[in-house]
Amino acid sequence: MNRIWENIFKLRQKASDEIDAILLKIPVFQDLNNRELKKIKRILHQREYRSNEIIFKEGDIGLGMYIILGGEVQIVCGPDNHVLTELCGGDFFGELSLLDDAPRSAAAIAKSPCVMLCFFKPELIDLISRDPQLGCKILFRLAWVIGERLKSTNEQLKEISCLRQQDPISA
Amino acid sequence: MPEAAGPDICMRISGSSTSHLRIVLILITIAGFIVFLTYIPDIVKLVIISILLAYILAPFANFLESRGMSRPTATVLIFIAIVFAVSLAYMSILPLFAAQISGLQTGFNPAQAGFVISRFEDFLMPYLSFLGIKELNLMGRTQAVMAGAGDWIFNHVLDAASLVTSMILIPFIVFFLLKDGREFKRTFVSLVPNRHFEFTLYLFHKLNAQVGNYLRGQLIDATIVGTMTVFALWVVGVKYFFLIGIFAGLANLIPYFGPIAGAVLALLVSILQTGSLDKVLYVILAFTIIKLLDDVIVQPVVVARSVHMHPLTVLLAVLIGGKLFGILGMLLSVPVVGFLKVVVHESILNYRRYRAA
Repeated sequence: MNRIWENIFKLRQKASDEIDAILLKIPVFQDLNNRELKKIKRILHQREYRSNEIIFKEGDIGLGMYIILGGEVQIVCGPDNHVLTELCGGDFFGELSLLDDAPRSAAAIAKSPCVMLCFFKPELIDLISRDPQLGCKILFRLAWVIGERLKSTNEQLKEISCLRQQDPISA
Repeated sequence: MPEAAGPDICMRISGSSTSHLRIVLILITIAGFIVFLTYIPDIVKLVIISILLAYILAPFANFLESRGMSRPTATVLIFIAIVFAVSLAYMSILPLFAAQISGLQTGFNPAQAGFVISRFEDFLMPYLSFLGIKELNLMGRTQAVMAGAGDWIFNHVLDAASLVTSMILIPFIVFFLLKDGREFKRTFVSLVPNRHFEFTLYLFHKLNAQVGNYLRGQLIDATIVGTMTVFALWVVGVKYFFLIGIFAGLANLIPYFGPIAGAVLALLVSILQTGSLDKVLYVILAFTIIKLLDDVIVQPVVVARSVHMHPLTVLLAVLIGGKLFGILGMLLSVPVVGFLKVVVHESILNYRRYRAA
């Protein structure tokens, strides 16, 4: 009987450790210590999606970010569901929605059965009011992530403009 | 020759009928649940009061959490503060409260009150003679009502058995709602299908702020009006000023009728107390000033969002609340209907906004 309990406990511990490992790889949660990570885990929602199930549609009000624990997700846009990118375990998307109320600019569809962790704005706001120090850490890291995205977009724009200058016809 | 309906149309029709069936089933379940609740009014009363209290206390728990406390510690600290405040109130206010209730049973100045009432009776009788009424006995009736009111408060509000049950159960429910409210929300949201999950959270987020502000605003407003009434009636010298003040504060939760009910009670007591109309003008003046202050200063500042309700809605809510849950139901009916109105209004509004985005 004790062994069954030990096994159940070990399984839970293993799952929890896996989640910790994935969360610590996400830039938004990288600076957090164990106690803070535990607090964050308490406000995340774990959801399971079937293959081809829509996670959110293009144009829906975005509420927050999704972290993929397992499975693959396609980010698509337009009426013909043009695939922008494919994401897998450990990736995250939708983090901009933690800051603004703008509609989702693309849709997310589960390509295979997926398990996700969802981190949403209401919980972030609540966290900021309850634990301002932790809230600041997250906001700071979030700003860093968005800054990195901006830098990468600038780089891409630079490359496009260079290409245009070199070969205006084909660009 | 008309074309046969394609599989797409068939699927759409079957999908639409399934969705209608689902809506009907949900409505039947909700109706069944409401009917079930009417069979357990005492429990419903306790739960409603507990939810309202938990909503009111939540910002304090959040504040303590922001100061580095854990949620359970914050909840325990709030309860210790409440016990302290109640003990203080018990020692300072309860003797006055009890004295005023027992005063109600002993009655008013019978000679003077009898004089005023008999004059009023003489004035009324000629107009009522065509109904075949020979004697009204207003004095006897009034004395019986006032003595009955004292008995009612002792039997219902201060009834030992129900008081002990409420004193144990309400704090118990409030404690867990306050401590584990987020967990309850998470568990509820985890039951929502993926398709509606994000919208449900969005709605919770919007409603939480609206409903919380509304309930806290109402409570603060009722407390301020109650305190002003106690003070004003004490200055005017009306007997039972403390009881009437509490009643006026609570009645203020009911728009339109509440303030009038408080004023009428104060007028009645002042007439019976003095046996003349000496204090009537002062009482009317006091209530007018309180109403003005409430409308011009207190409500715009304290009640962040007033829930406008049609007088007929208020009347029906009070009648249904009274029928189902007694006096307490009458008092709680308007905040509860206000709460439901905010919930339904915000749900529809946000659903439209969410879908239109």
